[in-house]
Amino acid sequence: MLAVESLTVDYGPVRALANVSLQVPAGEVTAVIGANGAGKSTLMRTLAGLVRPNAGTASLEGQVITGRKAEDIARMGVALVPEGRSTVPELTVEENLRLGGLWRSRAERAATQQEVFDLFPILGERRTMRADTLSGGERQQLAIGRALMCDPTCLLLDEPSLGLAPLIVTQILELVKKLAEESNIAVLLVEQNAVTALRVAHTGVVLNLGTVVMVGPAQEIASHEELRHAYLGY
Amino acid sequence: MTSFIDYVLGGFGSGMIIALMALALVLTWRATRVVNFAQVGQAMFTTFIALSLQTLTGSWVIALVGAMVAGALLGVIVQYLVLRPVKRADTSGAIIATFGVLIALQAAAGMIWGGDSRAYPQPFGNTAITLFGREWPVSAYDLVVVGFAVILVVGLTLLFTRTNLGLAMRATAFNPEVARLSGIRVGRTLTIGWALAGIVGAVAGVLVAPTSAISPNSFDILLVFAFTAAVIGGLDSLIGAVALGIGTGLILSVVSGYSDSSNAPVVALVLLAVNLVLKPEGVFGHHKARSV
Amino acid sequence: MMRDLLRLPGARLVLHAAVALLAWLLLVGITGMVDPLMNYYIALMAMYATAMFGMTILVGLSGQVSLGNGALMAVGGYVFAVTTLNWETVPFTGIAMNGIWAMLFAAIGGVLIGLLIGGLGARLRGPYLAGLTLGVAVGVPAIANRFPELLGGETGLQLTVPYPAGGYAAAGEFVDEAFTEDFPTEQQDELPTEQIEDLPTEQVEELPTEQDASGDDLLTLDNFPNEGDVLTEGDVLTDGDFSADGDDLLTLDNFPNEGDVLTDGDVPTDGDFSADGDDLLTLDNFPTEDELPADPSAPDGALDPEFAVDPDVEATFDGLDGLDAGFILEQWQAVLAVSVACIVAFLALNLVRGRQGRQWRAVRDDSVAAAVAGISPGRSKVSAFVVSSVFAALAGAVFAQILSYVGPGAFGLGLSLSLLVGVVLGGRGSLWGAVIGAVLLVWLPEFVLRAAGDRGWEEQVTNNAPNLIYGLLVVAVVLVAPGGIVGSLQSLVRRVRRTPASPSAAGLAERVDAGVGKDDS
Repeated sequence: MLAVESLTVDYGPVRALANVSLQVPAGEVTAVIGANGAGKSTLMRTLAGLVRPNAGTASLEGQVITGRKAEDIARMGVALVPEGRSTVPELTVEENLRLGGLWRSRAERAATQQEVFDLFPILGERRTMRADTLSGGERQQLAIGRALMCDPTCLLLDEPSLGLAPLIVTQILELVKKLAEESNIAVLLVEQNAVTALRVAHTGVVLNLGTVVMVGPAQEIASHEELRHAYLGY
Repeated sequence: MTSFIDYVLGGFGSGMIIALMALALVLTWRATRVVNFAQVGQAMFTTFIALSLQTLTGSWVIALVGAMVAGALLGVIVQYLVLRPVKRADTSGAIIATFGVLIALQAAAGMIWGGDSRAYPQPFGNTAITLFGREWPVSAYDLVVVGFAVILVVGLTLLFTRTNLGLAMRATAFNPEVARLSGIRVGRTLTIGWALAGIVGAVAGVLVAPTSAISPNSFDILLVFAFTAAVIGGLDSLIGAVALGIGTGLILSVVSGYSDSSNAPVVALVLLAVNLVLKPEGVFGHHKARSV
Repeated sequence: MMRDLLRLPGARLVLHAAVALLAWLLLVGITGMVDPLMNYYIALMAMYATAMFGMTILVGLSGQVSLGNGALMAVGGYVFAVTTLNWETVPFTGIAMNGIWAMLFAAIGGVLIGLLIGGLGARLRGPYLAGLTLGVAVGVPAIANRFPELLGGETGLQLTVPYPAGGYAAAGEFVDEAFTEDFPTEQQDELPTEQIEDLPTEQVEELPTEQDASGDDLLTLDNFPNEGDVLTEGDVLTDGDFSADGDDLLTLDNFPNEGDVLTDGDVPTDGDFSADGDDLLTLDNFPTEDELPADPSAPDGALDPEFAVDPDVEATFDGLDGLDAGFILEQWQAVLAVSVACIVAFLALNLVRGRQGRQWRAVRDDSVAAAVAGISPGRSKVSAFVVSSVFAALAGAVFAQILSYVGPGAFGLGLSLSLLVGVVLGGRGSLWGAVIGAVLLVWLPEFVLRAAGDRGWEEQVTNNAPNLIYGLLVVAVVLVAPGGIVGSLQSLVRRVRRTPASPSAAGLAERVDAGVGKDDS
């Protein structure tokens, strides 16, 4: 379980996150939704160690991760898939995957890689091709696959739907849900596309201007008329 | 025609040196997106160390190994103390800092070893090889230089394509953020890149020293040639750096042969300018095989 | 009130002109009060400042790191030399050539080379441009070797400094007598005239006649002539006594006090001697009584260490008749350099503080945003290059007149690097930074030499210490104070006053600090 306690992040004079607390239980998908500039990406980048918080902590299974280096947090089992299909286009599919768990033993890596190929068969077919020859959906799968290569206990997905066809988004998110439940991974999903996100999520967190407005079961939030109008804009 | 062939062959040795120095520039560029203009300063400094070791022990091999170790250390020091702390928003800062290092290293070498040119002892035969009834403008030493260059290039290529460290270095070069998110210790990887560049530069320095001489400023011109080769090769490409390094050496040798060696810098400048206008991304850059 | 006045049309122009004029009057006044060596330093500082005003615009405002401005200076210097040496009249006009015309041609040369290199470099990112200009710094001076007849090849060209009537012309007969010209004025004051008449012949025999390469016979405390001694052929220094870098020049620390005769500034350097030694000071051409200056208050205090920038620089002491004829050569050179610097400063002030300066900064900070706002990034970068090139060419023409010489060695990579060092240390993007940088470039080596003299450092340590300090300072400035001296002072003043930074005055430091995001690496 990933637990976030009163996390506060300032960009100079601008407060991006104010006192954010939330929990991401293992085996579940928790969706953070909110409008542009709500602080969603900042939350993800802070959890991954790319941004230092001004106050508050985040801990994974009781171990504090805030204040550590991004590479150490990754090795502790928190894998972020940043916004915009973060693969290394100059490397092949297989090299991108290898990258995800470079510090692990060869046997462990081979086993995880097989799991990833089982989950995303298209990556197995394209393993020797360069990442920049893949389609958008394939690259998103590769980015998630790369994150899975470190055998994460917590997966952070930042806007996976960005620029993808709705059908593909649904497919990928269904896979992510299956993954969370079957491998007992805590998944934190950040989405602007609230409808899609809440459809697969167990819990929903509404973020507005850096503060948590509401936490509750995904269904409940999806059907909350006022909330939708006020913060989600539909 | 005979003289043309002689000039071309005569350029191989110096071409290999340019190739190695260009390789060092490419290694630091790939690691940190910084062109290390202090690279020749580092190579000059380690070559002086090699000369001292050679004088002390009389062994060319010990001198070479000493220079390589010193080159790695110097690369690490420069990267860690100077380039790493440069504020990222200060885009000119990194370039200026490398020139600061160059000036300081040349002055330090002048302080320690004096400003005069010194001869570096030739480890092997410097006489032209005779084969098929004629003399060729190639000495046994030239062949050793070529051999070293080939070993280094092959070794580096294997390192980059076959090892985890190589993959980490490539990923770090192309996308440091994804590399960090993948658990790669990016800072350390960058420093290793600089150490490798330092080693390659040190080898180039020790190899070139016997054919010219060594003084605090003697490698300045090599920087221009190596930069020309590295840029035309695409700055990202090891193969490109080597191919264009050799090519530059051959062209300069032919130009020097037919006119005068003092024209070489002008020719290098023209090559560089033409390339930057016609194909700024370099011959081997961008859409061609970028990963080695 | 002041601000309101400045909003009037043309007010800034008037203000800048007044600033430049005041500076000019002040500096020209100073040149009339100081000794020739100080004037030589003033000339050098003004020359550096001229070139570095261009670097400020190019590196600081336009954000293009150039290593080639030393070569751009070479273009100006060579154009000046070639036009003055080869043209008697201005082409197509029939007007007699003079220094002003030659400077104008140098400036035109600067425009052309600036267009060429700036045009090539405008589309290049930082390291590529730095590399290209590095090639320019090394390649362009080498062009001189390609045309030995026109450009003098490796040896360069000697030239006569165009000099105002009544000064240089009247003293013209000393021009060829290098050593005579160099002859220290102090010595002339102090030499007892009787001794010239009855030279002690025994002593001549005792003095060392052989000169070996080891430098044993250099003038040192031990063999330095005592008061009664007169220099003779045997102890005159020749080419062989000087290392190429001028290491062994007599400096403050080894200079005798009592009965000072030669000062180091007066010691002849390589360039002063012809190969055959014809112009060595011998008994035959030793200055006689009537050649000595009548005025006992002739400038003294030339007790300064060796020259900072280029030991080959001829330390021309145009004593003797020149004193009576009006301007001393050094003073004239200083006035010339100061005048050019003030004109260039006036131009630079208007450019930097006007619309053009805002455009350069806009393109530097965000070329895409600038393009959206209707500024052509390419044109903006080229214009910065051309302006800096013209300034560099003018500085080069001044440099040629300070040295009375142009040659590839004088405009090498070292000069280009010096300009970069000066601008970075003074403060990128600040015209005051360029001035401070120029002062640093000339005086830091002096201070180091003095300190070295006090501590008895070895020569090779002493000679390299300035550059070591420059190199380390450049790194330190980039890391901790990107705004250089001026930027640091500005932020210090602001911190004291606790006033918000004004965007235009804010040095690079603020920009850089603000630009660093929260991401840590």
